[in-house]
Amino acid sequence: MPDSPDLKIDRSCCVPLLALFGGATLWLGVSSVLGLLASIKFHAPDFLANCAWLTYGRLQPAADDALLYGFCLPAGLGVALWLLARLSQTPLHGAVIPVFAANLWHLGVLVGLVAILIGDSTGFAWLEFPRGGSVPIFFAYLLLALWAMMIFAGRRERALYPSQWFLVAALFWFPWIYSTANLFLVAWPVRGVVQAVIGWWFANNLLVVWTGLVGLGVAFYFLPKFTGRPLQTHYLALFAFWTFILFATWCGIPPGAPVPAWLPALSAVAAALLIVPLLAVGIVGWRTVWGSIKSKWDNGPFCFVGFGVDCFCLSGLMLMAMACPKISLVTQFTWFGSAETQLRLYGFFAMTMFGAVYYLLPRAVGIEFPFPKLARVHFWLSLAGIALLILPLAIGGVIQGLKLQNPDVAFADITKAMLPFLRISTTGLLFLLLGNLLFFVNVMGLTLHWKVALLKKFIAFVKSPMDETSACTSLRRDKGVQA
Amino acid sequence: MKNGFLVFLASLIALGGSWCGFVLAPVLQLGGGKQTTILNSTDLYPVGRPGMANQGLQVYRANGCAACHTEQIQQSGVTCDVVLTSAGKSPLAVTNAISSLKLNNIDKVAADAAVDAITAAGGKAEIHIIATGPDITRGWGRRRSVVEDFLYDDPVQLGSLRIGPDLADVGTSRPDANWQLVHLFAPQSVVTDSAMPPFRYLFHVQRINGEPSPDALVFPKGFGPRAGYEVVPTPQAQELVAYLLSLHTDVPLHDAPFTQPLVVSKP
Amino acid sequence: MSDELKSSTPPTPDTEPVAARSPVPIWIIVLTLTQLFLGMVYFDHHSGWFNSQVYGPYASSEELESYQPKSGEAAMLARGKARYDQVCGLCHGLNGEGKPGQAPPFAGSEWVNTQGIQRFTSIPLGGLSGQLVVKGQTWSLSMPAMGAAMSDADLADVLTYIRNSWGNKGSPVTAADVKAIRAKLGAHPQPLTGESLKALPE
Repeated sequence: MPDSPDLKIDRSCCVPLLALFGGATLWLGVSSVLGLLASIKFHAPDFLANCAWLTYGRLQPAADDALLYGFCLPAGLGVALWLLARLSQTPLHGAVIPVFAANLWHLGVLVGLVAILIGDSTGFAWLEFPRGGSVPIFFAYLLLALWAMMIFAGRRERALYPSQWFLVAALFWFPWIYSTANLFLVAWPVRGVVQAVIGWWFANNLLVVWTGLVGLGVAFYFLPKFTGRPLQTHYLALFAFWTFILFATWCGIPPGAPVPAWLPALSAVAAALLIVPLLAVGIVGWRTVWGSIKSKWDNGPFCFVGFGVDCFCLSGLMLMAMACPKISLVTQFTWFGSAETQLRLYGFFAMTMFGAVYYLLPRAVGIEFPFPKLARVHFWLSLAGIALLILPLAIGGVIQGLKLQNPDVAFADITKAMLPFLRISTTGLLFLLLGNLLFFVNVMGLTLHWKVALLKKFIAFVKSPMDETSACTSLRRDKGVQA
Repeated sequence: MKNGFLVFLASLIALGGSWCGFVLAPVLQLGGGKQTTILNSTDLYPVGRPGMANQGLQVYRANGCAACHTEQIQQSGVTCDVVLTSAGKSPLAVTNAISSLKLNNIDKVAADAAVDAITAAGGKAEIHIIATGPDITRGWGRRRSVVEDFLYDDPVQLGSLRIGPDLADVGTSRPDANWQLVHLFAPQSVVTDSAMPPFRYLFHVQRINGEPSPDALVFPKGFGPRAGYEVVPTPQAQELVAYLLSLHTDVPLHDAPFTQPLVVSKP
Repeated sequence: MSDELKSSTPPTPDTEPVAARSPVPIWIIVLTLTQLFLGMVYFDHHSGWFNSQVYGPYASSEELESYQPKSGEAAMLARGKARYDQVCGLCHGLNGEGKPGQAPPFAGSEWVNTQGIQRFTSIPLGGLSGQLVVKGQTWSLSMPAMGAAMSDADLADVLTYIRNSWGNKGSPVTAADVKAIRAKLGAHPQPLTGESLKALPE
């Protein structure tokens, strides 16, 4: 039976994707556990307080970095790799290098997280990994990006689909911002508050621009694919791409920052201009799925991706609000900013990646998920978790900000007023942890199944003294390399 | 777009633009590490932190204090107060001049007009500049934070969440080292309803050997170790407190002016 | 082919998506241009035009300059006193009473009160040697230029303090005055004498 070209392409990515997603899923679970532990400390400050490794100031950054560097980046890269292969109609060759890169990545994340917990963090938000973690991650990214660019450059299908612009731009984005940030903040630090400016630039370009590029690239592929309708429209997506990269890259400097006024002014203008790509993305997404939502309701990955795009627009609006000088007086230094980041990283990016993984991983590996129905449960748990996490933090943040603006309110009263909101958001984290556990079980189960199948084939190959060439061919085909 | 090169070019333009604006330009404009002078004085600002305070900054970083505390004071406005310094030869004329004027919490134009009116009536007046804002009213500092406040810090720990209060001027508002140490060991003993976790691992609880240690913490009534024991800070705790006590935002600068009653030059 | 995931199978065959090709709606272009214009207006009003000294709430360097507190006399006197006590008081006395055989008094001295700012300021800048009559007494002096190393502002503060203390009543000496007189005297002036001091304008 001749294999379809899509099957060949899918199977060529099998092992790198398993390496990337397997580790990513593990780090997602770690991030949820660490985040939950950190959140519990608000209700019981004495909880685990004697252990220096588990103090809040180390747990929370570790949880954040585990989510971003442990889950978001590798999952994004894996989906991008597969998507570029599919859209280029070109299989992946030399899978051993991406597999090595994936393992190098996960090693870097492990070293980085342990470094944070022992007190060796760099002190910069979203860049806490010291050299032992950041260097492996950087080179792993370069290798994976190189492999993706090789697929893209050697593509059989020369016409570009919108997703490819987004993904190729993202491949280029990260090495520049990561190397700049690490060189100017950690290796040869610049003086004083310029560190903070570069730190904000880096965090914005990673959390907003990079995740936006990869997430939108993935969404613009899957939404038309699932609904069976064409993307509405090519030129609007192009417009969204250009306006997004031109405007979103300049956001990030908070309005009250201790820097000359021109820096926050530039960011405020950029944030106001962000309405244009947000509208464009919203229209593209809405017009593409219009009329199909009800019929696709039982399509799990569609729900994930659709919800992700909604969260992208919502978190974009929150970002715009935070940059508006009048509103920022209330939202700055409050839980509102934290809510926006979690909505973007988890509600938008992670959910989009979940949808993509649920769709592509069985096709790449050739084995079904062990518990396919759990995907629905995962979706609803995540939806509930995000709502329970984000809404109290956002509302609580506004209340906190209003109280901070009123000098007659004692600080202790502000702390007390936040507790009910934090209680609800801790519950949200619990829901998210459960959902992530289900995802972990599914991905790990599939990986285990694959490894067992591989082992069985190998044993069969070793045992039987039959015609060697045919056994080799069948073994190689199962591993996804073209004969 | 038709090909990968155009995508690469678009990314280069977009990211290159923001790199120039937020990396290159700030390094060129602000990265020189230039000190400034305190307003109306020749004293340089800032002078570097003492050695223990610099190590304290590393303890601050290692324990992630910036996850809950910010070090940047906000200022939402500036007002003037007109203060009479001399009634001159005819106090009655001066009184008449100022009877219809508002002299507190006014803008510069109104303040200048008031001073002119007083001078015309033969008196003398000064304009006091006051920085305003909720942070300042709370006592978290006298003015907004500016570039010069962080000149010698590496890494700069500005923070982004105020789960705890702002610390930019904590060396002025809470200068007692013992209070700071007790607050680190048992925050709830000195701040009611505090959400701050206790940092007991920065301290040793030890049996009192004859004489109590001079470094031992003095606790408020009802708190503290059991009888016969004392709490002694580790070097890390002392460095951290030295850093906290070195945090000041209480002198006027050219880019964040306010009137300070007395500026005495150092010997 | 592997088993299909029931919850993730698209009903249509596994084809790659396509993109429709209608043009960008004009209203979004208009919106972009409008936002760009409004953004430029905002930047004009709030950025201080890349000035490194302008921070919010100040909108321009002019506004920042207007809010610089002028150094009030009280502040000058306080600074001047501190400096005087460090530098001049050792010889001239902390209350300006002078020390016999060492330094003449300031309290009630005509050189402080009536002889004019130029002459008075030139003494610490140039130094003094030879004979000088102060309050009817002849002093044989050798004073180094104690004020030469001070900044203009600091010396102005000290002289203002002397001119307003211990019964003296005089106008303040400004940093600009000190700067002008320093320039007139030159880089390494010869110590003044009683005659050359009188030869200076008031």
